[in-house]
Amino acid sequence: MSQATLERPGGSPKQVRPAQPPPSPLLIGGILGAVAVTVVAGWAIDFSLAPVVEQWPKLAMILEDVVHPEWSEITDPSSRLWTALKETAAIAIIATFVGSLIALGVALLGSKVSAPPAVYRVTKPVMSVIRSLPDMAYALVFVAVVTGPLPGILALTIFNIGIVAKLTAESIDAVDPGPLEALDAAGATRWQRARVAIVPAVLPNYASYVLYVFELNIRASVVLGAVGAGGIGQLIMLYFNRADYPRLAAVVIVIFVVVIAIDLLSQFLRRRLV
Amino acid sequence: MTSVTATTRPKPPPKWPYTAVGLALIGIVLVAGWSLDDAKWERLPQLPGEILQYAGQMLDGVLTWPGAHPEGQADPELTYGDWWLQALKLMGESVALAWVGTCVGALFSFPLAFLAAANTAPWFLRVPVQTFFNAIRAVPEILLAVIVMLPLFGLNPMAGAMAIGIHSIGSLGKLTLENIEAVDPRPVEAVTAAGATWWQRIRTAVIPQMMPETVAFWLYRFEVNIRASAILGVVSAGGIGALLNRVLRGREWEWGGIMLAVIIIVTILVDQLSATLRHRILHGAEATAVAA
Repeated sequence: MSQATLERPGGSPKQVRPAQPPPSPLLIGGILGAVAVTVVAGWAIDFSLAPVVEQWPKLAMILEDVVHPEWSEITDPSSRLWTALKETAAIAIIATFVGSLIALGVALLGSKVSAPPAVYRVTKPVMSVIRSLPDMAYALVFVAVVTGPLPGILALTIFNIGIVAKLTAESIDAVDPGPLEALDAAGATRWQRARVAIVPAVLPNYASYVLYVFELNIRASVVLGAVGAGGIGQLIMLYFNRADYPRLAAVVIVIFVVVIAIDLLSQFLRRRLV
Repeated sequence: MTSVTATTRPKPPPKWPYTAVGLALIGIVLVAGWSLDDAKWERLPQLPGEILQYAGQMLDGVLTWPGAHPEGQADPELTYGDWWLQALKLMGESVALAWVGTCVGALFSFPLAFLAAANTAPWFLRVPVQTFFNAIRAVPEILLAVIVMLPLFGLNPMAGAMAIGIHSIGSLGKLTLENIEAVDPRPVEAVTAAGATWWQRIRTAVIPQMMPETVAFWLYRFEVNIRASAILGVVSAGGIGALLNRVLRGREWEWGGIMLAVIIIVTILVDQLSATLRHRILHGAEATAVAA
């Protein structure tokens, strides 16, 4: 049926149809480049899936332990797990609060809307250097200097300043210029402009970034503990080194539930904010 | 006259909700701080000085001529240049495992995302696949590495690459399915009206629309994974993390400074390259030329 309708007098449908454009050389180059990088990367890390088969019995043994978690670790409120969890929560809360407060100030210095050119041209590259180090690197440095939960708090605070300041500075860049012009015309100082026009305008976005880093911090404090920066990660490394998989499984279950709960809560709040 | 303007002016909105939220937040933070009984708060005032001193030593290490020999090392032949080369090699390994991990994540998340998007899959496929994505994202890479990958692959980069890869399936899957759901429905309707099968619809109307943004997300995820791969080394899953952990714990600040410098330089370079590529993919050649 469709064949019949496409037929036109005086020519076959093939001649009417325009030729398909050939794939662009850039696309071919891009795909070849990606394949080349993948081959080199795979070679560099000795890519091989053989261990999945060879080592399967070992993993099966661990998984056997993991599906029988040590429930007493969860049900007993005075267990190591709950102490560590409370510590993790406290670290994340303090780091989010302090880091976000400082970040708001840094963001105002890092946008051309609120800061003089000399200031934001310095602030921006400094911020990108701070962001380029993973939170773990900061934790490693602080752990070498001081013990306890303090290095975790400091590392996450710096990490949060980097992220929140960047995102907020971008929001400030996009602020509606109308109120700013009105204030400029009325002779407002930089501080008054920031206080009256910029901060209220970016506040909903800022609050959603703060919730976002809080989410990240809960996850990150799992990681930070692995180098001894306090919190639940320290417990993970302890049980891993002892090969105490039933207790490790209990920790994993709790982390899983906490992370999902915080994700859902923060998603709900962020949707209401923006 | 003045009384008229005073009455016509609207009342400012009340401030007390902001004050209440602010006070509640400060209260929570204070309780959190008080609950950390082994935090050495009294050390806080000395820390900036100490950190600056160590940062100075790190900078010394970075700025020293690579041919010079560091003091106090067991091997008298060792130079700063050896430290640079070793850090570069390990960082290369971190980047390689991040790339392989991203490939694994992209490869698996791409087909799965079509089974999870509202406009390409029925609900009985969508719900389990979306739950699977969310569940994977909730497990940090380091846990995957410790529990599953290290026993399987041993203490080597494959363990890190697979941990990153599996974790990336969750985050890339979610982003890809959002891209699929955001496609313009009109081309899809057009090919459906022309009698296209499910597969033809995906191939001709959905993929061409969502591909550029999806590839841009892959590149972005690669940037994120480079940072994650630096972390995974700490549990000996490959890359620069293991040595960085050892060196900083040993307070070898000059050596550590060189390693951190390599991490910063390589991360920023890859970020810039990837940002340029993403811009080119999303906005085309002309816009990229103007931006550059």
